[in-house]
Amino acid sequence: MASTSSPAAAVVEERESGGKRKRGGATGESEVLGEEAQPSSKWRRRRVHEIYSSKLLDAIRLVRSGSGSPASAAAAATQPRNRAVREAADRALAVSARGRTHWSRAILASHHRRLQAARRARLREPASPPSRHPTSPPGKGPKTPALARKAKVLGRLVPGCRRLPFPALLAEASDYIAALEMQVRAMTALAEVLSTVSASTSSSSGGASSSPA
Amino acid sequence: MSSRRSRSRQSGSSRITDEQISDLVSKLQDLLPEARLRSNDRMPSSRVLQETCDYIRNLHREVDDLSERLSELLATSDMSSAQAAIIRSLLM
Repeated sequence: MASTSSPAAAVVEERESGGKRKRGGATGESEVLGEEAQPSSKWRRRRVHEIYSSKLLDAIRLVRSGSGSPASAAAAATQPRNRAVREAADRALAVSARGRTHWSRAILASHHRRLQAARRARLREPASPPSRHPTSPPGKGPKTPALARKAKVLGRLVPGCRRLPFPALLAEASDYIAALEMQVRAMTALAEVLSTVSASTSSSSGGASSSPA
Repeated sequence: MSSRRSRSRQSGSSRITDEQISDLVSKLQDLLPEARLRSNDRMPSSRVLQETCDYIRNLHREVDDLSERLSELLATSDMSSAQAAIIRSLLM
């Protein structure tokens, strides 16, 4: 029930922490700003997880309270809401990245572009956004055709990284993977909390005593 | 804009060494779930890239499934701001 879930959550966190989640002293900010070179350690910090969880909760509550953004399909069907939740979660993730990576900037930029396009379409004729097609960057490093092919696939999977040179692409992919893992952890925890809360709410209103183990 | 700036910075210092690349590849390999199971012997770069792509696709799918689950949970529950505060504290 609700009284047992907080110590249970604390136990889970203790079990998981074993060196993975670092907790600086009072200064949460310096904890996030320092040691940003290692993506895996940066995204495993407790503080980042907490910040993201909070942003995530706010973002999906906004989706719930009625698809107010003009970009999303306003129908109350399932698919647009799934999409809206996914995009809100991705945007919250990108914001948590503090703008230092290509992928995070790309996620926020594409959302911004979509909002602008929707706004322009409502007001007047849509202006054509300038399409950037720079020449492919030199100095990619020695790559066989097989590697080049896989690098291209990877560039399509990581947002905003299609035209990056190989070393930058690898660095972005490292950071992106660490961020995605945190996103999965946070969304899973939120889903667990929400399902526990809604289960206990419905059982208390129904009157049947179903005590979760 | 900022990507143009970083690109010009990189063409200025165009000497990306093999060592830097293999260093990045091995860092990537350490992030993969397979690397935690086996010993940390170096996989060939193409294998690392392949596993990386597969892993990212897996993670995307997990996030999609979780989005669906969260979306369903949202549909069934009304959340007052008091409940949101409780949920927030449970997450911390």
